[in-house]
Amino acid sequence: MSVSAARIARRRVGNLVFSGFCIAVTAVALIALAAILWSLLSQGVGGLNLDVFVKSTPAPGSKGGLANAIVGSIMMCALAMAIACVVGVLAGTWLAEYAGKSRYGSVVRFINDVLLSAPSILVGLFVYELLVAPFGGFSGFAGAVALALLAVPVITRTTEDVLSLQPATLREAGVALGAPVSFIIRKVLWRAARSGMLTGGLLAFARISGETAPLLFTALNNQFFSLNLAHPTANLPAVIFQYALSAYDDWRRLAWAGALLIAAAVLGVTVLARTLAKEQRRS
Amino acid sequence: MTAADLASAPTRRTRPRGALVAQVFEGLCFSAATALLVALGGLLVSLFIGGLPAFQKAGFGFFTTATWNPVTEVYGAAGPVVGTVITSVLALALALPVAGGVAFFLTELCPAPLRRPIGTAVELLAGIPSIVYGMWGLFVFAPIFSKYVQMPLMMKAEPGSLLEKLTSGVPNGSGILSASIILAIMILPFMAATLRELLLTVPAAVRESAYGLGATTAEVVLKVTLPYVRAGAIGAVMLGLGRALGETMAVTFIIGNSHGFPASVFDSGSTIASTIANEFTEATSPHHTAALVALGLVLFVITFIVLALARLLLGRAEQRL
Amino acid sequence: MNTMTATDFETSITPIPAELTKVEVKNLNFFYGKSIALKSISAPIARNQVTALIGPSGCGKSTLLRTLNRMYGLYPGQRAEGEILMDGENILSPRMDLARLRSRIGMVFQKPTPFPMSIYDNVAFGVRLYEKLSKADMDARVEDALRRSALWDEVKDKLKESGLGLSGGQQQRLCVARGVAVRPEVLLLDEPTSALDPISSARLEETVSQLKVDHTIVIVTHNLGQAARISDYTGFMYLGELVEFGPTDQVFTRPSTRRTSDYITGRFG
Repeated sequence: MSVSAARIARRRVGNLVFSGFCIAVTAVALIALAAILWSLLSQGVGGLNLDVFVKSTPAPGSKGGLANAIVGSIMMCALAMAIACVVGVLAGTWLAEYAGKSRYGSVVRFINDVLLSAPSILVGLFVYELLVAPFGGFSGFAGAVALALLAVPVITRTTEDVLSLQPATLREAGVALGAPVSFIIRKVLWRAARSGMLTGGLLAFARISGETAPLLFTALNNQFFSLNLAHPTANLPAVIFQYALSAYDDWRRLAWAGALLIAAAVLGVTVLARTLAKEQRRS
Repeated sequence: MTAADLASAPTRRTRPRGALVAQVFEGLCFSAATALLVALGGLLVSLFIGGLPAFQKAGFGFFTTATWNPVTEVYGAAGPVVGTVITSVLALALALPVAGGVAFFLTELCPAPLRRPIGTAVELLAGIPSIVYGMWGLFVFAPIFSKYVQMPLMMKAEPGSLLEKLTSGVPNGSGILSASIILAIMILPFMAATLRELLLTVPAAVRESAYGLGATTAEVVLKVTLPYVRAGAIGAVMLGLGRALGETMAVTFIIGNSHGFPASVFDSGSTIASTIANEFTEATSPHHTAALVALGLVLFVITFIVLALARLLLGRAEQRL
Repeated sequence: MNTMTATDFETSITPIPAELTKVEVKNLNFFYGKSIALKSISAPIARNQVTALIGPSGCGKSTLLRTLNRMYGLYPGQRAEGEILMDGENILSPRMDLARLRSRIGMVFQKPTPFPMSIYDNVAFGVRLYEKLSKADMDARVEDALRRSALWDEVKDKLKESGLGLSGGQQQRLCVARGVAVRPEVLLLDEPTSALDPISSARLEETVSQLKVDHTIVIVTHNLGQAARISDYTGFMYLGELVEFGPTDQVFTRPSTRRTSDYITGRFG
């Protein structure tokens, strides 16, 4: 079989075009990332000062900060994570250890995946109907529940994955000693899977700390500083949303500062999670 | 007492405590898993109940009317639905080649020392909260888009030409196309990461055989590895579509928020998510609220179908491995 | 072309007097779903002796071992029929208390499986399930177990360190200590040295020989030399059948069946 030189040349050109395309689009993607980070930094840093962390959100034209929003966001995220960790770890454990190949287990897994990718604004609507409308008031609790609903699927998924990775002989060794299943899960499997579950928790936290839509009609927003979660609670994303679309310069500056804070928190937690995952893989 | 003494002493054994604890524990785990089902079911039910008044009032016309008028209390979903579909599909069309290119680059072309940093950089993009994309889109992207793309195109279009029809509108940087581009940038990292992981599942032996036959990189990728992960790739695409459909913040800032059918790619439009986000807290009447919730239900159904399809395809891909 | 002859079906089981038998397997059939994996196995396991199970891959030796502590019960679709009598009690009876059973029959697996906790806690794990011991008693028990598995000298200064930090051979001896700490009457070893280097394997073999003073030991091994070295009785299995069973010396030097002598001499395997 003789291979024509023309054909080889054509293939080589095709390869060059393809490779060029791949390199070009990767460059585009990286440029986009750089552009976004650059805007964040340049616009956000300008608005960052001590006031941002100390004073509450101001009326237009006056000076202020984001303290109440920051605190509100932290409170709601913390509460959401507390709820989500309990439910998520237990659900993930059920899927990995008790569900086996049952039909119900497949259904639950499927539902979990749907919840994982469900539009967060719909979750907000659901919690509104559940916890706001009947009680006649927005609250930080409702916001936390909405965030928890978004975090649970992530934690369930990572818990199940990381428990399934444990070798069968570990379980069998526990059974061979006569230990009850729950004992084996708690004392052996959870401990062995500890860092994987922690990574999952961090990833879930990173996800919900950046979420805006579900908070829009659950926690609403609060102009003042308050630690009371039973009332509308200030939160960073809602503040950014409101301020960014406004016409006031100082509000816009605060919006960028807030965006920078959120992005920094999310990226920081993500990096932490991945570093932990790498450490775990190495050991 | 020495160890040897102990060794010869008889052992007393009790039953390991915990049969009851084991059952309670299993019950707790089962309840948690069932809670997921309850949550999704509750979501569906609450959307249905909340949106029912709107369906009852407008009947099937709810889906076909493009009017959205809080004053006359006529609400039609057609505008937001069309906007959602168009922006998502456009975003997908823009993001897919780029995501593919990035994935191929990282798995085949990238020099080894650069692989980890670039891969990490792309995944960092995925972590940026959507509201940041929205702000960047509105304040940074829109002016540039307006100045360098929209205006030149509009000025170049001959009156009455197809180009003019496609580009009519106010060149302020916002609109359907802008929103699609921002959305594309948003779903890009996720799709690139998923595609890359899929490509990495192709056994080394398969790739090596292809190279061993003298195939070029392009040929190996396009003719061997990509077909190998075809089902999974389609699943990943559908997952990306699912995300785009539900995205709120990245789109709301820059889509222009007008309710009718967009007349051109530069025209303003709305998506279901942006409409709900903008109007829910200021809904003028219970009927308005019901219409918004009904919109939510429509979005849920669309997303659910897409996600179920994605799961089906990805599941089949996993079985193959 | 190989045609089957009578010698392809002969089996030979040398009986043991009842007083010397700890476990008696009687007509054991085992099924994975619909397919049969163990065919009518009958064998005596001698008290305080080492019984080795040998045979080519897939012959059912691990399956047989795992019926002895009903480990197969973890997996639906696996089923055993017949009787296994330990001191007269039928292990396979549904009324058998599994937790109690496993406190009397311990198992060490092919791959070392230290639990993610300290060495001390690993050894104490099983004991804590059943007994409430004072700290002094528990310390003594842990030390005793570690001495019996020839690990004490190597770890006595680092009992609080994680079990995962030990070498492969040490981890396997830790698993032996963990199993032994519960004072089982029977110890099942499933190819315990196959994942270990020769030196660690030799140490583990020494340990096994010393353990038989207090325990009845059944060991599955792929290594004919190992079986010959440390066992008192040997059972040769092939395709789910127990072909020959008897004192090790006899099985290795004067096998009664043709299949056994073919395997021992390396004609197949």
